[in-house]
Amino acid sequence: MEIRALLSALRRNKTGPLLVSAQVAITLAVLVNVAYIVRQRVEEVSKPTGMDLDNMFWIATGASSRDFNYATAVKADLIYLNSLPGVVAASTINNLPQTGAITGLPFASNLEALQRPNGGIGGLIYFGTDKLLDTLGLKLIAGRNFDLDAIKPPATDFEASLGDWAQEVIITQMMAKKLFPDGNAIGKPIYAGLINKTSTVVGIVDFMRAAPAPARYDDFVTQIVIVSIIPSGPSGLYVVRAKPGQRAAVMRQLEKNFADQQPGRFVSRMEDYTRTAAEIRQETRTSAFILAIVALFVLAVTVVGISGLAAFNVTTRTKQLGIRRAIGARKFHILRYFLVENWIITTCGTVLGCMLALAAGIKLSITYEIPRLPLYYLVGGVLLLWIVGLLAVLVPARRAASISPAVATRTV
Amino acid sequence: MLAHDLRMAWRSLRRNPFLSALMVGALAVGITASMIAITLYHARSGHPIAWKDDTLFAVTLDLRDDDPDQGFSRHPEYPPWQLTYRDAHALYASEIPMRSVMMYKASQIVTPEREGVKPFGVNIRVTTADFFRAFDTPFLFGSGWSRAEDDAPGAVVVLSKFMNEKLFGGANSVGREVMLSGHSYRVLGVMGAWMPRPKYYDPNNGTFDIPEDVFIPFGWMQALKLSTSGNTNCVSKRAKVTSFESLLAEDCVWLQYWVEFRHPADRDRYQIFVDNYTNDGRTHGRFPRKNNNRIVNVTTWLSMWDVVGDESRMQVVLGLVFLGVCILNTLGLMLAKFLSAAPIAGLRRALGANRMDIVRQHLIEVMVVGVLGGAAGLLLTLGGLAVLKGWLYSGMLIGSDNPDRVALVQAFVHMDVSVILFAIGLSLLTGLLAGLYPAYRIGRLAPATFLKTQ
Repeated sequence: MEIRALLSALRRNKTGPLLVSAQVAITLAVLVNVAYIVRQRVEEVSKPTGMDLDNMFWIATGASSRDFNYATAVKADLIYLNSLPGVVAASTINNLPQTGAITGLPFASNLEALQRPNGGIGGLIYFGTDKLLDTLGLKLIAGRNFDLDAIKPPATDFEASLGDWAQEVIITQMMAKKLFPDGNAIGKPIYAGLINKTSTVVGIVDFMRAAPAPARYDDFVTQIVIVSIIPSGPSGLYVVRAKPGQRAAVMRQLEKNFADQQPGRFVSRMEDYTRTAAEIRQETRTSAFILAIVALFVLAVTVVGISGLAAFNVTTRTKQLGIRRAIGARKFHILRYFLVENWIITTCGTVLGCMLALAAGIKLSITYEIPRLPLYYLVGGVLLLWIVGLLAVLVPARRAASISPAVATRTV
Repeated sequence: MLAHDLRMAWRSLRRNPFLSALMVGALAVGITASMIAITLYHARSGHPIAWKDDTLFAVTLDLRDDDPDQGFSRHPEYPPWQLTYRDAHALYASEIPMRSVMMYKASQIVTPEREGVKPFGVNIRVTTADFFRAFDTPFLFGSGWSRAEDDAPGAVVVLSKFMNEKLFGGANSVGREVMLSGHSYRVLGVMGAWMPRPKYYDPNNGTFDIPEDVFIPFGWMQALKLSTSGNTNCVSKRAKVTSFESLLAEDCVWLQYWVEFRHPADRDRYQIFVDNYTNDGRTHGRFPRKNNNRIVNVTTWLSMWDVVGDESRMQVVLGLVFLGVCILNTLGLMLAKFLSAAPIAGLRRALGANRMDIVRQHLIEVMVVGVLGGAAGLLLTLGGLAVLKGWLYSGMLIGSDNPDRVALVQAFVHMDVSVILFAIGLSLLTGLLAGLYPAYRIGRLAPATFLKTQ
């Protein structure tokens, strides 16, 4: 085929092809890096939580009178909520999982570790009753649930809860692996720093993720310690898990009658967990969406550029094309000429683009503390641009192929 | 002559309407992407209290243990950004600053007087009296409290404009009573619409959080044993927290601390005072590290917090790269178009037009494309920002039913005059970048080349 003629034609008029190559290069760099970041974000918001969010909801209450007796109310509330036919389980909790609210303490399997600089493993703490595992839908894989007697009644305030720490804790497998790298955690003591308390690990749940977080914080949000304490009042926080399909009905019922179950308090908010979980993911989702849209626009503009240049070439070369057809070139040859010409331009762009993409990838991996851009993204990007480039040039190339040989006989 | 050139340009653009639309469209989307990113960046990098940049300072002390910092902070060299009660209390005694603010965020329950209005939770700020003057909060009615009310503590509150609307329908409520978690407080003042962006005075819960709705004197902290709803960080391994009292005594940071000086020069005197305080503490076994106490103005404070953020910076880079692609695209199309019309230029040259005439006429055509693209881009930017507004701060406004407040938060995303001027400059520059080379190329062509085949 007429490769030499093609290259010589490209050399004679290089500005247009150079511009398209540059566009392709930048587009490749943008596409692969944005795709990589978008994937990170999508993963961040779609990782499993270990909880049965679609059947859960929460209720926040507050005291409206000074006579409100939180300790009695919380006991009665828990009995009432757990007695409802549509409810699987209900518990109080100190912070809502899947929100920004977290409380953490350093933990260790021996006291000395806590005294060392940076000693101890950070664990997110959740206070709750023996119903908490069922309420969140966590799976106990070793040991047992809390003893009813081990559950601490509510203290006067949060700090006092820390002062009157529980004897029993249940930890996630992640936390167990970190604290006891070589052995069984059940029955072993764990020490909580800052408050200087010891408790016994009675159970291990397979998995829980407190909140969506970038991959580098994965450990941090899955190292969890569940403590058998009823959180302090006077504001109450309840998590409830309904039977499948009955959440809305249970919530409607509670909206009517829950506040008045106890005098002197009100319900400040009640929300289903599907919504709560979506809210905390909203910003990440939006930003991923915007990034993806911009990248698609960049690609679209480049397609227009490729197509435009080819169309222009077809127009200016109409006469030559007619001559080629007249002296024996077949439609297929003309089509092939444009496709190959474009492929060479695109390929030059992708070579430069790979370098740009890698440079940008390194910068982004440092800024966002994410692993380097995997090379298969580049391969995918190059393939995509080849395909898109060929498609973009197809329409003008077919127009070129359909030029009649008779054109050659006309004088412009 | 300009009118003639413009007419020529318009005619030339009309000749290839599809191509012209492509060029204008490409520039428009490129400008839109950059301008949206730049507007957001500009908004985030704003200075909410620029007029006090040499007198208003955040105070931070480095009381961390002498071991490598493990935290999540990207800047381990920065001290913790809040103070312990013990240190804040000690610094508060200093006479060097004209105003000292120690404060924190908490939550309380409001029980409205009006029948049928349910009680609701509210974010409050527990602060010393100087808060309102130091941060220049506007007042609709009344004023803040005096320092004497801090210690007593006085049962007085200042309400935000929005809380006043919710509780008293916006009327002058000074002297009226408000029930907070079972205690009655007298309204001393009602603030005007106040929405510092970023919320520099306490970045707990994010630098774009909305200000609290109720303000009460600092003395209530101990009187009510009211703990913070913000971040508490026990920075010392020696800290032991088992009760509210121990939280006050131990090395746990949870209070924000700001000072305002009469004269900028007082800052240095204050730095010496603070350093002496930590030196003294070191002799008693606290502050094991070298002195690293930072007294920083709002500009430095915002950059320490990296309020602008990597995300915002990346958006600007992405927007400008996008614009770059659009410029390359338009440049290519423009070049193609000019060269295809070269015979006309050749004819004009042959008929006596000089090189400058040709270049000028083509440049004007390009600038028309740039201006059209810029205008379309500006409109698209306004539309895009309107859509984004709804998305960006929806999370922050959950539970806020006050339309004024929603508008105030959203007003943060807006194009001010400087941004609009920048947009106009950017479109002209874009037109020039896209058109300079094609116009130059067409001007350089020898007229004879194109007359040959005619």
